[in-house]
Amino acid sequence: MNPYSDLFSRRDLLQRAGAGFGSVGLASMLAQEGLLAKDASDPLAPKKAHFDGKAKSVIWLFINGGPSQVDTWDYKPELAKVDGQELEGFDKETGFFSKSVGPLMKSPFEFAPRGECGKMVSSIFPKLGEHVDKMAFIHSGHTESNNHSPALFMMNSGQPRMGLPCVGSWVTYGLGSESRDLPAFVVMSDPLDRGLPKGSAANWGAGFLPSVYQGTWLKPKGAPIDNLSRPGHMNIEQQQRQLALMKKLNGSPVDAELEARIKSFELAYRMQNAAPEAFDIDREPEHIKKLYGVGEKHCDHFARQCLTARRMVERGVRFVQIYSGGMENQRSWDGHSDIKGNHSQFAGESDTPIAGLLEDLEQRGLLKDTLVIWGGEFGRLPLSQKSKKPGRDHNPHCFTTWMAGGGIKGGVSYGESDEIGHHAAVDKAHVNDIHATILHQLGFDHKKLTYEYNGRRFRLTDVGGNVIKPILT
Amino acid sequence: MRKLFLLLSIFVSSAITAQELPTSHAERMKAGTGLFQKSIRPALIESCLKCHGDEKIRSGLDISSRELLLKGGDTGDAIDLAKPENSFLLALIKHEEEPEMPPKKDKLSNPLIADFQKWIELGAPYDKPLLEKKTDRPEEMRVTDSDREFWSFKPLALDTPPAGDDDWARTEIDQFVLATLDKNKLAPNPPASEHARIRRAYLDVIGLPPTPEQLKAALAMPHADLVDQLLASPHYGERWARHWLDAARFGESHGFEQDYDRKFAYHYRDFVIKALNADMPWNQFVRYQLAGDEIAPDDPLAMMATGFLGAGVFPTQLTEKEFESARYDELDDMAATTGTAMLGLTIGCARCHDHKFDPIPVKDYYRFASTFTKTIRSEIDIELDPDGYRKASETWETGHSKLVSKKSVYESKPEVIKAFNEWTKTDAATMVSESDWTMLNVTGAESSQRATTLTQQDDGAIFATGKTPAKETYLVKTNTQLKDIQFVRIEALTDLSMKRNGPGRAGNGNFALSNLKVLVVEAEDKKQPLKIVSAEATHQQNTQNLSVASAFDSNVDATGWAVDAGGIGIDQAAVFKLEKPLTLKSGNSLNFELRFANNGQHSLGKFRLSVSAAENPAVAVGGGKSEALTEAQAALLTGVLTPEHRKTLFPHFAKSDAKWNKFDAVVRESLAAKPQPDMTKVQVTSEGFPPTKHHADGRGFPHFYPETHLLNRGDPNQKLAVSEPGFLQVLMRNDKSTPDWREAPPSNWKRTTYHRHGLANWITDAENGAGHLLARVAVNRIWHHHFGRGIVATPNDFGLQGTLPSHPELLDYLARRFIANGWNIKALHRDILLSSTWQQSSASSPEKATIDPDNQFLWRFTPRRLEAEIVRDSILSAAGQLDTTMYGPGTLNESQQRRSVYFMIKRSRLVPMMQIFDQPEPLASQGSRPSTTIAPQALLFMNNAEVIKWARLLAAEVAAKNPDDAIRELYLRTVSRGPNEEELQNNREFIAAQSASYNSVKNSQQLALADLCQVLFSLNEFVYLP
Repeated sequence: MNPYSDLFSRRDLLQRAGAGFGSVGLASMLAQEGLLAKDASDPLAPKKAHFDGKAKSVIWLFINGGPSQVDTWDYKPELAKVDGQELEGFDKETGFFSKSVGPLMKSPFEFAPRGECGKMVSSIFPKLGEHVDKMAFIHSGHTESNNHSPALFMMNSGQPRMGLPCVGSWVTYGLGSESRDLPAFVVMSDPLDRGLPKGSAANWGAGFLPSVYQGTWLKPKGAPIDNLSRPGHMNIEQQQRQLALMKKLNGSPVDAELEARIKSFELAYRMQNAAPEAFDIDREPEHIKKLYGVGEKHCDHFARQCLTARRMVERGVRFVQIYSGGMENQRSWDGHSDIKGNHSQFAGESDTPIAGLLEDLEQRGLLKDTLVIWGGEFGRLPLSQKSKKPGRDHNPHCFTTWMAGGGIKGGVSYGESDEIGHHAAVDKAHVNDIHATILHQLGFDHKKLTYEYNGRRFRLTDVGGNVIKPILT
Repeated sequence: MRKLFLLLSIFVSSAITAQELPTSHAERMKAGTGLFQKSIRPALIESCLKCHGDEKIRSGLDISSRELLLKGGDTGDAIDLAKPENSFLLALIKHEEEPEMPPKKDKLSNPLIADFQKWIELGAPYDKPLLEKKTDRPEEMRVTDSDREFWSFKPLALDTPPAGDDDWARTEIDQFVLATLDKNKLAPNPPASEHARIRRAYLDVIGLPPTPEQLKAALAMPHADLVDQLLASPHYGERWARHWLDAARFGESHGFEQDYDRKFAYHYRDFVIKALNADMPWNQFVRYQLAGDEIAPDDPLAMMATGFLGAGVFPTQLTEKEFESARYDELDDMAATTGTAMLGLTIGCARCHDHKFDPIPVKDYYRFASTFTKTIRSEIDIELDPDGYRKASETWETGHSKLVSKKSVYESKPEVIKAFNEWTKTDAATMVSESDWTMLNVTGAESSQRATTLTQQDDGAIFATGKTPAKETYLVKTNTQLKDIQFVRIEALTDLSMKRNGPGRAGNGNFALSNLKVLVVEAEDKKQPLKIVSAEATHQQNTQNLSVASAFDSNVDATGWAVDAGGIGIDQAAVFKLEKPLTLKSGNSLNFELRFANNGQHSLGKFRLSVSAAENPAVAVGGGKSEALTEAQAALLTGVLTPEHRKTLFPHFAKSDAKWNKFDAVVRESLAAKPQPDMTKVQVTSEGFPPTKHHADGRGFPHFYPETHLLNRGDPNQKLAVSEPGFLQVLMRNDKSTPDWREAPPSNWKRTTYHRHGLANWITDAENGAGHLLARVAVNRIWHHHFGRGIVATPNDFGLQGTLPSHPELLDYLARRFIANGWNIKALHRDILLSSTWQQSSASSPEKATIDPDNQFLWRFTPRRLEAEIVRDSILSAAGQLDTTMYGPGTLNESQQRRSVYFMIKRSRLVPMMQIFDQPEPLASQGSRPSTTIAPQALLFMNNAEVIKWARLLAAEVAAKNPDDAIRELYLRTVSRGPNEEELQNNREFIAAQSASYNSVKNSQQLALADLCQVLFSLNEFVYLP
């Protein structure tokens, strides 16, 4: 009899697979039998949140570089009236370039009411505008830095410093992994050679949390995850023979940690087969690809990422973050010059794909427990930045972000900016508040999701954070 | 013009609803007051008041009066009168929420907790405040002697090892451990097997498995000898340095936006390795890292050590608004890392408020942080081996002066002098070159870019070294006595050291002189440019934009003289005609500005400047005379020669004298071999050196502010007062006679403040300063890395939130011994490694595991997975592929074969294999690494190209042997033992089946062996400490 024929039977896996990406039932069953090692060796075993959250997973469309609120979702008719005037009392050091501050500038885009709620939406979002009834807009966002990487760190980790765990890491730490074949937290960056968001991997880093909680960056080119393919010189049988020998030689250790390590190889073997399937969007039918804009030259890359995100979420991936745009200036939404051209381009890259994603999630019944977030690291000034074609500089005092699905009310707006969209004015929403809301939707009391490190209990929201309740269903 | 005024924000005020009082209010208050007097008041005074109202106000909660209690603390309301059962205070004393209250004491009794709930239900009345004169209480935290009573702040105890007559206990350590085991009804394990002990010793001490030969030798030697041998291995430093580098949050890039490399930061890593290998005492190790630049500025190790303070992240792009807060963050990084890494104290927690748990007031934090007020990162040139250079120089001087005197003895021989005199009168005029060109006296030469160094050579040429910047301008100052200068010449010279021999520094040997300016300088602010009217060159690349004429055209940066297309690797010259003849006035100088900008890195590598008064000087290379020779030649005509003239002329006479040439050649050879100082750029953290360049320098980033302020809530916009450097009160042992640790700099010392010197004095002072805690923390770290768990399980936190020591007497005993042994680290290792505790087997036992599942009492040696670096190093070593080159710059190349400690640590590109096995992110101090078991680790062993490559290389090493011998050899190399019969059989069968499956491939047997090697690398036994 073949000595390894029964090694990878379903029954066997159910009994043995425990470490790494396990499933709820499996892990609890193993735990009951005392087969699972303690947390240290199974850091990704599914865990219960504080309460039943409305959202099971998150897709965060990171509008990298800082989208301009007054040119996207925050309609400011007053700004048009004062177009071209100086802004009295403006602190020239608000943005990044204190020496090229221009006058107030109206949006170069037309706004029109969309959806049943009649939300005024910029003409750069023809398709997304159809979905405003799914979205809750937060118009009063504000942050603590006027500089890309600290602001990115702020938005991702709650503090404008390097070294804190990002939201996805906190969530993975708190919930473990639902999928046993895929990482719990994946990140996709710009595949068009326009660079990584500023601060790169620190934006999806685990900080002081164990590194297993960091985001898995899907490489934009080649195999998305390292070491996922069987060596070229080996067939399945040969690798199985290796694993069978390994199992024999490892014996039956008493220590749970060693036992868990043996299981991790069996699990790895399964991942190796299952993960490539998850990334293969060519398995999707044509009409779905079309819905996302796959194959359309200007948005194909982002469409593929959005479609991949849906496939991930479907397979139990907890947290997906996709960066729209690369590093800075003309490579992302960072429209220092030619705000019109810049935002037209990046909205064009993402309008159809995100609209497709929302529609697809909804038609599959996934939207109700998938929290979709659209937003960048800060907003932009209502003033122009002097340039051949005028741009806009960074604005930490005001930005707009929206959420949809996952227990979020549709067609509502929360908070207001001032009349020209310069400062958040009514119901101000700090980054900590946005984080508290995300955690809340996943079932966490943000004050209780803590990790002790170097003598202090840290949390994502530090000493702040209020859940933005009016946008919740 | 109409101006728009900023619109005021509109605030929605939330209505404050007054709490409605129930009708029976008075009665309830009366009942509540009774309860308060009976049980609540005594309990509050006994268990709560000290930290919440009297000596301190921890977490902002003051319970000394009802009014203050109702105000709540930093985390919100303490009690909820509307829903008493939801009161946070109740949750804390019920131990439903953390921190459990009262801390480090038994839980309050259940009846008492019930009283608390009842009392809150009754409205939480007080009869009177708990403190009489509340107004006298200082607002800030007071550090008292009772704070110093906490175990880690106390002086080291003077315990002696408990007596025991058990055979198992070999050393004092064992006596302590055994006593604790006894107390917990546990017995230690018997010794590990010989093979396990040796493998454990190798992996623990040097982080490499023994080779089969080393294994054989170790089996034949006493354990103590093996321990000594391993501690003396240079690999010991490489293995143990990595532990400390985690605590030091060591990285080699800035982090943040661009994550620029810190190219010279690796010297700190080398310092740690060298210090450990040299058995540097721990107190010196600490002193050097904090203030090596002040304590021993001439010791390169001390300078390298200062890399510690500057190893943290720092933003690479800053806006004006961020300058000051970024600097406070940097001070915090230095203070917090010093606190956690050296003292196990979370000083950083007192940045915004008094420490919530430990007796560290916010004022102490700012005093501590202000020690680093002027401390910044710099890159400076350091002679890495000054002793070696001094010795080599002395030896050379002696030898060289002998050679010089031999030559001068020959020169002063009467017959030589006579012949020379003859020569001056006869042949001199014809024998000395009749060149039209006179070399200029160069008085200074520098580039506009710091990266380039220009040095003058003996032959009058100027040589450029350093990294070639994209664009630069050479500034050369010269003077000359020559009159009526009509032409200037630039010789572009080749040299073997340059790419394609030059004369340019570009990758193809070319250069492009975009612009030449010749200026007469009368004073700093009085420079007169000379007009050039024409030019000619020995070669030019073309006749348009790369012609010699384009070096003085109006197009300054876009065009310039270049010499490719036939001129590379050949000396070239360009001659420029001045509009009017020039005679330099005395005191004036002639400056040249050579601009290289029309093509990246196209600067000149070697060049020489000369002038000519001739009408039609040759457009050619060479022949330039020194000014002295020009003068001496003129003197020859008059027949009156000064000693200087004679000296200048002598070599021209002597070059036809074979004997003299021999002497001269020897002197020249010796000169060429003159020892040079081994200057290396080193990143240091000091004061008064130029700061490391920063992106925001152009915006005026100051790098530091002259004063550090006490801040309200850590906010640089809320400065309260200037903070002077100082120490932590809780570790100033004796208030009455506190010594002054501060150190005044020597009178001739200006560069630094010596504040860090004072800190180093205090932190290592084992009498009255922080020395006892410093020793405890150090000893615990070493223990932690030997056993996988410290005596204090939180190596970075010895404060009230840290865990209590499992063996407090042992920790104090070892720390005291450590200090008594002169803070000797290797002696401590030896004590541990020779103990039975360390040598016992790792076998598990269900009975013992029930009593002590975490093995905190050490009934066995805990098996644990090797760290990321050691997994990889073990594979390389077993495969015979380890490159043992030590020190120097690291690399990001995953295929590199040096030990993993030599990976460069670039924060945005951490090495995946290191990360996957839990190497921490180098962002803040890490005291202990997590050890996770995840599927991606298994995938790495199964599929990673490097692992497969090493498996194949290992297979190749044993391929010539017969299968059984090959298997035995592989077992010895990987798991340090031979296979048993069953294993042998399993392996045989695998090789047979696997090679059969490769039957279409030529070397199927070797492929099968490689697949086996991969299996062995993947075994638990290979990656776990036995």
